[in-house]
Parts: sequence; structure tokens; C-alpha cells
Amino acid sequence: MAVCIAVIAKENYPLYIRSVPTQNELKFHYTVHTSLDVVEEKISAVGKSLGDQRELYLGLLYPTEDYKVYGYVTNSKVKFVIVVDSSNTSLRDNEIRSMFRKLHNSFTDVMCNPFHSPGNTIQSKAFDGIVSGMMVQTASTV
Amino acid sequence: MSVPDYMQCAEDHQTVLVVVQPVGIVPEDQFFKIYKRISSVSQVSIRDSQRLLYIRYRHHYLPENNEWGDFQTHRKVVGLISITTCASAKEWPQTAERFHAQKEVYSSTLYDSRLLVFGLQGDIAEQQRTDVAFYPSFEDCPDVEKRVDDFVESIFIVLESKRLDRATDKSGDKIPLLCVPFEKKDFVGLDTDSRHYKKRCQGRMRKHVGDLCLQAGMLQDALVHYHMAVELLRGVNDFLWLGAALEGLCSASVIFHYPGGTAGKTAGRKPSISQPADAGKRHRPGAQEVLIDPGALTANGISADTSTEIGRAKNCLSPEDIIEKYKEAISYYGKYKNAGVIELEACVKAVRVLAIQKRAREASEFLQNAVYINLGQLSEEEKIQRYSILSELYERIGFHRKSAFFKRVAAMQCVAPTIPEPGWRACYKLLLETLPGYSLSLDPKDFSKGTHRGWAAVQMRLLHELVYASRRMGNPALSVRHLSFLLQTMLDFLSDQEKKEVTQSLENYTSKCPGGMEVITLPDGLKLPPVAFTKLPIVRSVKLLNLPVSLRPHKVKGLLGQNMSTASPFIYSPIIMHNRGEERCKKIDFQWVQGDVCEVQLMVYNPMPYELRVENMGLLTSGVEFESLPAALSLPAESGLYPVTLVGVPRTAGNITVTGYHTSVFGVTSDCLLEGLSSVKTSGSLVEVIPSLPRLQLSTSLPRSAHTSQPTSKEELSSSVSVQLFNGETQQLTLTLENIGSEDIESLELTSKIVSTKEKVFGEFLSWELEDALSRLPLKSGQAVTLTVNIKVKLDFSGQESLLQDLNDDGLSVTGLPISSPLRQLLKPRPENKTFGSESGKAEYSHIKTLEAVLNFKYSGGAGKVEGYHRELSLGVHVDVEPSVFFTRVNTLPATSTRQCHLLLDIFNPTEHELSVSAENNQDLVLHASECQRMAIQVDKFDFESLPQPDQETARFTNPKQLEEERQYAQGSQINSKLGICWSIISFQRVHVWSKASVEGVLNQLVLEHLQLAPLQWDVLVNGKPCDCDVIADCKAGDAVALEVQLTNRSKNSVGPLALTVVPYQDFQNGVQNYDLGDAVTFIGSNTFFIDAVKPKESSVCVGALLFLYPGDFYLNIKFQDDSAGRELPLAWFTLPSVHIRALDAQPLAGA
Repeated sequence: MAVCIAVIAKENYPLYIRSVPTQNELKFHYTVHTSLDVVEEKISAVGKSLGDQRELYLGLLYPTEDYKVYGYVTNSKVKFVIVVDSSNTSLRDNEIRSMFRKLHNSFTDVMCNPFHSPGNTIQSKAFDGIVSGMMVQTASTV
Repeated sequence: MSVPDYMQCAEDHQTVLVVVQPVGIVPEDQFFKIYKRISSVSQVSIRDSQRLLYIRYRHHYLPENNEWGDFQTHRKVVGLISITTCASAKEWPQTAERFHAQKEVYSSTLYDSRLLVFGLQGDIAEQQRTDVAFYPSFEDCPDVEKRVDDFVESIFIVLESKRLDRATDKSGDKIPLLCVPFEKKDFVGLDTDSRHYKKRCQGRMRKHVGDLCLQAGMLQDALVHYHMAVELLRGVNDFLWLGAALEGLCSASVIFHYPGGTAGKTAGRKPSISQPADAGKRHRPGAQEVLIDPGALTANGISADTSTEIGRAKNCLSPEDIIEKYKEAISYYGKYKNAGVIELEACVKAVRVLAIQKRAREASEFLQNAVYINLGQLSEEEKIQRYSILSELYERIGFHRKSAFFKRVAAMQCVAPTIPEPGWRACYKLLLETLPGYSLSLDPKDFSKGTHRGWAAVQMRLLHELVYASRRMGNPALSVRHLSFLLQTMLDFLSDQEKKEVTQSLENYTSKCPGGMEVITLPDGLKLPPVAFTKLPIVRSVKLLNLPVSLRPHKVKGLLGQNMSTASPFIYSPIIMHNRGEERCKKIDFQWVQGDVCEVQLMVYNPMPYELRVENMGLLTSGVEFESLPAALSLPAESGLYPVTLVGVPRTAGNITVTGYHTSVFGVTSDCLLEGLSSVKTSGSLVEVIPSLPRLQLSTSLPRSAHTSQPTSKEELSSSVSVQLFNGETQQLTLTLENIGSEDIESLELTSKIVSTKEKVFGEFLSWELEDALSRLPLKSGQAVTLTVNIKVKLDFSGQESLLQDLNDDGLSVTGLPISSPLRQLLKPRPENKTFGSESGKAEYSHIKTLEAVLNFKYSGGAGKVEGYHRELSLGVHVDVEPSVFFTRVNTLPATSTRQCHLLLDIFNPTEHELSVSAENNQDLVLHASECQRMAIQVDKFDFESLPQPDQETARFTNPKQLEEERQYAQGSQINSKLGICWSIISFQRVHVWSKASVEGVLNQLVLEHLQLAPLQWDVLVNGKPCDCDVIADCKAGDAVALEVQLTNRSKNSVGPLALTVVPYQDFQNGVQNYDLGDAVTFIGSNTFFIDAVKPKESSVCVGALLFLYPGDFYLNIKFQDDSAGRELPLAWFTLPSVHIRALDAQPLAGA
């Protein structure tokens, strides 16, 4: 499914980024990095119109030739970015949403860890596990 | 048309295109100078109307693009200005010909042309020609602008005529079909009479008229025409032209809404001075609601027929509609492969509009679309241009990251392997421009705050590219700087392998161009701040070290310590202000000395996975001239904290601040300032340097010891000696003092102190004579003096009583009462020697006691002495005292004389050697190992009263206990000197040396009392002879024996009155004493004496007489009357000698 999953801090630096090992990792770094432009734009646009009631899911940020980039932003302005293969047409919007929700839950768990200091990169096995689950090819739970 | 003009914007639709070109040989700089002057005439106000004509100048325009002029008239070259030089009239025909040839290129579209000739003078130049202007030189051409103005006006006339011509075309006339180059062949053989065809022609013409109106400054008309064109073309599905019409509509609306232009400041229009008066009103919201006002249109001199066609419909698009229409237009363009450039340009224009509207997301969609437009084979240069413009547009809509991405792509394109001559300089420049997009600054200061947070992988890639580009540019200094920066800031993100690679290449580069701390300024003014390797190695703490104890300067402090904090009124506060900055500035409370090596300890850490060689590591200081002595170190891989001591010598006195350190790693020298390193712990960096002081070196005759002084002792020792002595032994210690400093030693003091020993020391432990050494002062550098110190150990010689219980079996007890026994001989040593069987008992005696003292030398000299500083050198003296002899028990026995007594000492030998003990007037006593023997010494009683009394003044200030101790000490030493007990170990070499033993420790109060002369001294005289000790007074039976009892009062108080009774008795030497001597002895007079009160230091004498009736041995016992007040006084004071009188038969005398 997902080929790259990233968590980006409020200040727009990566807290976590992982991509399928077979491909050029740097490329995904670039992809996620540039997608932040769109995320920021979307947040600022939403902030103006809706105020407090905000949909966390940002939807498709932009499609590239090979990938689709989806975004999600928590109320604390932490961003999640999922990159999926464009060829994977079976993936519906709802599924992406539920992936983000799962990711958000797991991220919350990480934050609840008293030994984790917010702002540092995420080094959690549980979180890793969730991410790995989303990156495997066979969609079983989602 | 294959080359897109990325700089286009919506308002360009309004302009007329004029090409300015050189003809023949024109110096480039001169050409552009003129070009600049020409292009300054970018908008011209037309006489007699309020309209403005905008001109777009190009110095290069593809004729191919010109062919699209019918499609969008602003693409049409309508004017040509040629610039040429002509030196002589001879050349003139040729030049004119060339000009004509050039005109031919654009002949199909050209409205008018001009030729500017420079340098030609003479007849030809005198000619008045409208299309040619002559100027003597490039400098002397004042009316170029005027010429251009005129030229533009003439263009306007043509334009206006064309507009009117086309606009008034009646529908009945045959309207030519306008078409784009690639369409031409499609329309061959088409039925020109069909309604469909006619409509198409009409629509296209409307659109064309709209374009012309727009160019001619008739915005409202243009809008109307465009609307009509859209309607017409939509009906015939002429998509390409429909798109163009829509775009025209958009352009016109944009021009209406945004009079400031959409191109941004680079291509921004001049603020229109001569714009119509209503221009300002266009800003107001809802301006798009303006409807066509037929009256206004007629006022502009345009036929009213266009306005009637539209009626009152809204003719201007709202900002939202503009985007919608752009989208639509682009989608129509997209249907035609050959219109790629048009589509791309439309996208760019739309993006510019969206950027103004601040609708970034939609703009990005347009851009995204633009990225996918395939223009066929692009040259590398075009690619670079395309990426750059994409980057610029992204930048404009606020997508800095995306912008940076494309800029980087453009940069990479500059040096693509397919390019024969890679533009490394351009690449580098573009790469630098991407830095903000990746939130990367080249100032290492921005990275010093905590852990780096950013897109490390991406940033690292960029830095690598910068390094590579700068290297290929042939600027090794720059690549060293970038590589250093990479290493310094991205260290945490580099893998071990990468670290290795980076450092290797850094070393390669620095071998050619060493890195330094200077700021590198790039040609475009960008400054690259120096990179200090604060992480190679990482310094965790900086600690200024005090000088070694022996070198520390001391100053006699005032009564109030200088370090008393006056900052707070509170003596104690639990709230401690943790201010690191303040801490750093804090002055450290020790001093360094000028000319002496001072040390700073750094705790460093090597984060590299291999050995790190740091060369030339030294201190950076300020304040005082400081000679740093750099060190080179090699830190093992992942070393952990590693202490490094940096040294230096302050050359002047004053305050010095350690501001940082400098290193040289991988050929890059760095100055690391502490203030920039927040992770470094430091307890202060400011220290005072005092003027120079001399240095003293001490060497001793005794071996040095590794013994450390007890931790409780405050001062540390510079060195110490240790020696093992038996209790009572004396040893000489020779000290050599050498001046190893540069200053003369001018003063020297020596004190000693016994440190924290639990043992009681008798006598002076250390003693010396300093006068000789002092007489040699001042001691010059390199000179030495010697000094002898005597070490005398005299600890308590008393043993534990419990161990000697068995020696006590003889029943001797100390009593104060006189034992009126007959002759007592000195007790002979006991024949049976008792040895201690149990080892444990012995062990307790043989345990070694330690005695420690410190010899403290205070010396000073040089400039430091003037300032009141001195140095202290302390020598620890550690003595292990082995027990020699023990006095396990002490007793006194009264001697026969009241002025004497016997001191009985049980002496125990705890050593493993044979000991010989001697005392004054006594024979030697040989003791085997672990043997105990008793020694009896006859001593005269002591008169302690004669000891000097402490004067009243001191007595008042010292506490009573101390006074008591002093008194005992004085008494003890008096007794000691009298006894003179010495011992020696027979088997040792020092056999002849008798070591003293003292008895102070063993003497208890009771014994002392016995050894003391009683304050009341009694003297009994028989027949005028003193009768004491064992003296037997002889007398004749029948004669009167005079008995005189004299009392001398030595006590402080007066004593008395006392009553004495003399009782005679006979001792049968078998325990029976016969007191019934009434018939044998008679008293002459009373047998009781009465002594009145005797004042201190006075004496009183009672005299009586006895008469012995028979010869024999008699004893007189002088007793006190019980009723006397003398009870208050101790009994021992009344020890009167018993008097032994031998009454002899008078016969032999008579016989004699």
C-alpha cells in the first residue's frame, strides 16, 4: 500500500520518515518535503474559514507521476503524510482516512510515553510496527 | 512555435511588440545601452485621447513565433527599431540594404520601422527622413526617447486604423479566416460558404478585433468583442480559438482588476502617470460589476453598435471567473498538440494571476499541469529556463520547498552530463538560491542551539552538491568551507561510512587549500561565515585548573573575606539563580601567576567511528598576554569522555578570560568560542593573573612517601616523607631548598603543625634552626640552602593496666600513709620473668601508631611580593611509631626519708628485640622480647611549687583544663629529666644511641601526689641532729634527749593550730609493737606540742625532751591530736618521719 509514511513536527521538521526500502529513500524525502507547501497552504486556508472546527484529514495533497501524496494534520499541527503508489487504484479515500486515524492513535500512544520527549524523533517499536503494517502489500485490516 | 516565453503575463496581451535589433556590427554594451533607453518608453499616452499604448520590446524574437500573430496579436511584431553604426557615407548603402533585409523578416506583420544610425556625419546625415535617425555617436543622441515616442505614435495610428477597419466590418462582407500556422493545411478544400465556416470566420475575427481593442487601450470594447467571440466560437466548436477568446477575456479582466500588473516587481509596470482619471477607482471592490455604459463608449468615439449587441450583460469577469475561464481555455488548448507553448504560457499567466489573488493551491494545480505539458525535445538551456521559471512561480505562490526543489533540478540541469560545457558556476549559484527553501543557512551559529531539526537527508544532499559544484568551479576554499559545514552540522545524521568519506575528501581538499576561520565572500556578496569544528572533538566541559598546591599564591586576607557575597541581603536562600551566562563571567577564586604554566582541563569526546587526530589544540584567551602551548592529541574511536589539559603561560599580570580553544582537524583550523557552545559546562572562565613569584624546590634526605595525608587535613601537601621510628627515637631530616624559579626568594618562613593525631605527643616533635638559612637570603635563582630538622617522637609510654594484672600480685598498693616499716631495701627485680603467652596480647602492644606533621615553608619574592603574595610549600612528615617500651604500671613506695620515695615502674618490652633500659643512678635492665620487668628508682621528691606559674594575664584567657594540662606537662617533664630513663635496642646498629623514654603518660594524680614534696615540711631533730631516713639517733640512756620538731609551711595558706603527741614504742620485728613504755621512757615536760598557726613560708619550732631510762631501740611516733582543725588538709601533708633512737647504756661511756 503505502510506499512512504512520514510524521512531521509542528515546526516542519521530520519526526519520523520511513519508506519502502527498495526505492530511493531520498526521493521520498523530497516528495514529503515539498508536500509540506501544500499542507501549509491547506492549513492556512482552512484556518481562515472554519476556525476551530477543522477536518484533520487534508485529502490528496498532490499527485505526481508515480505517487499520490495524502496529508493529515493533528490539532497540534503535527502532520502525517502518506505516499501511495499511483498505480494502486483500489485504495479508496476512506481507507486512506482510516490509515491516518490508525497512525494518529499510534502517535498519541508515543506521545503518552513519559520517556519520550516531544520534539525528538520517534523511536518506538510499536509505532514502527503500525507503520510496517501499513506499508506491507497485502491489505488485511484496512 | 516551440519556444515559450515564460515571462509572459496577462497584461502582455495589452502590449504591442516592438523588436529592437542591431544591424551590422554594433558593440554589445552600446546596443544594450540604447536598448535600455528605448525600452524605457514602455507606455505612451496618445494625443487627443485618454488611451495608453503599452509597448513590449524584444531584442530577439523568433519569426516562427511571429506567425502566431493573428492568433494573439500581441505576439505580432508590429514595430522594428534597428540600430546600426556607420562610419562613412560609403557604407551607408550597404547599411540601408541590411535594414531592409531585416524588415523583410517581419514584413508580414510590421506596421512601421525605424533605423537609428550612429557615427555617420555628413550629407546623408543631413537628410530628413522619418524612418531613419542619424546620431554622431552613442553618447550624443539626446532625442532617442522622443524618436521612439513618435514611432510608437505612428504605430498607434496604424493600429487604430486596423482596429476601426476590422471592427466596422459588416457581417455581409466576406470575412477572411484567420488561422494559426499548423491549421493552414487543414482548411484546404473546405466549403467556404457554409454557415459553419462563416461563423468560424466571424468568431475568429471578433476575437482578433478584441485583441486589437485591448492593444489600442479600449478595454471595455475588447471585453465586448471577446464575449461575442466566445459565443460564436463555442457554437462552432472551434476550440483552439475559443480558448484564445477566453484567454483574451481573462486578460482583459485581469488588466481591469489588477492595474498594478501581475508580473511582479521584475517586470512591473511603471505607475501610470498619464492613466485615465478613473484608473484609481478600479481598485474598489465590486469593480467587476461595472456594466457597459453606452454613453461612455460613445464619448470615447467608438460606434455604439458593439455595445448594443451585449446589452446590459456583465462584460467583465469576476476574479473567480477569470480562473474558471483560464482553466477552460487551457483545457481547450490542451486538445492541440501544437499549441503546447500557448497552453504553457496560459498556465504561467494564470499562475501569476492566482499568485496575486493568493490562491496558492489552485496556482499549484496550474503549475502541476504546466509541468506535464510536453513541448517535445527541449534543449538543455530551455530545460534550465523552464525549471527556473517553475521555481520562481512556486516561490511567488509561497511554495518555497517546491520552488527550491525545481531550482535544484534546474541547477542539476546546468551540469547535466549531456552538456558539453557544464555550467558549474550557474549550478552553484542556483544551488545557493535553494538554501532558504530547505531552511538551511550556511551560518553554523544557527545550528548551535540544541539538536538539529530539519530535513537532514535533503539538506545533506544539497550540501554535498554545493561541495561538488564549488570544487568543479575551481574554488577549493569554498568546497572546504561547505564540507566543513556539512561535517559540523550534519554529523549526527551521517552514517559511519559517510563520516569516513566526508573526512577523507575533506583531507584531500585541505591538502591543497587548508581551511581557516576567515569569512569567504562570494562574488555576489554572499558571505560564508567560518565553520568551527565544535563537534570534532566535542568538548563537554572546560575547567580552569588551579596551580599545583606548592605554586599557589597566597595573600593575607583582610578581616572580611573578599569573596563575601554582597549580591544578596540574605545569608542563605534556597533559590539559586541558575544563570549560565553569569556563571561564565564569574571570576574564579584562585589566581594564576605570571610566568608559570597554567592549565585548563577540557573533557573531550570523539564522536567519530575512528581515531581522531587533533593538532595544534590550544587556548584562546583575552585580557592578558598569554602564550598558549598547543597540544596534539589523538582520540580513539568513540572515545567517551577524555580529559585533555591545555597549557599556557600568562606573560603579563591582570585578568585573563579563557574565551575558547582552537583546533586543527583534517586540515581545517577552527576557533571554538565558548560563548557559542551552550553544551559546554564551565564553572567560570575569568581568572586573575598576579605578578610573578619565585619557585622553591624541596628535596629531603629521607625517602619520599606515597602516603597521602589524611583527607581531613585542609591543605594539600606538595610532597611528604615518611620514616619509621621507635617510640622515643630521634631522627635528623636534612632539607635542601632550591630556587628553581626566575625570581629571587626574599623571604622564608617555616612553621610546623601536627595534624590530627589522636596520640598525645610529648616534647617537641619537629625542631629546627632557621637562622642559617635566613642569612643566605635573598636566594638567587638556581641557588640552594640546606636545613636540618630534628624529628623526635615521644608518644605515651603507658601500657594498659589490665594486661598486667598478674604482675600486681605482690600486694603492693599505693598508700599515702607512711608505712612505718623497718628498713626497706630497693626491691630487687623479680626473679621470675613473666612472658605473655597469648599472641593477641602482644599484638595489642606492637601496633604501630602514626604521627603526621606538616612543615610549611612560606616564601616570597619578586613582583608578587610587592603585591603581598607569597607561596607555600608544605612537606608532610609521616612517622610510623613503633612501640619501644611500655610502662605498664607505676607505683610509689615511700622511702625511708620523707624527702624521697621509690618509683616502681613495670616495664614491658613489646618489640622483638632485646632491650636495655637504664635510668639515672640506676643499673641497666635488660628486657627480652615481650618481657615485663619491674624497675625501682629512688627519687627525691619534687617541689612542683617552684615551677614557674603562668602569669595572671594568660591564666585568665586560657581555660582551666588547658591550664591543668600545662601544669601536668611541666611536672611531667621535670620528673622525666630527673629520671632520665633511656632505652636502646641492643642488637641494632643504633645500639649506642640511647633513646629517651618518658613517664608522663603513666603518672596519675595519686602517684604525682606522692612524688610531690608535702607543703608542710616536718623536720625532727634529735639532739640537734636531723633525724630522717634511716638515720639512727644515738643517745645515752639516762641522758635527756632534746627533741625538736620544726614545721615549715610552704603552702599558700597558713596552717594550724596543730597539736602533736609523741608516742614512743618498741618494735619487736615480729609484728608486735609495744606501746607500754611508761617505765622505760619518760618525757621531760609535756609529750604534747602545740603549734600555733603558721603563716605561709614561715616555720615554727617546738622543742621538747625525752629521757630514756634503759638502753634499747626505740621508735618515736609523732601523732596529731584528733581534735585539730588540720583535718581539712590532706593526710599526706602530715607525713612525719618516724624517729629511730637507739638509747645506749651509759656504762661503756662511763667506761670510756
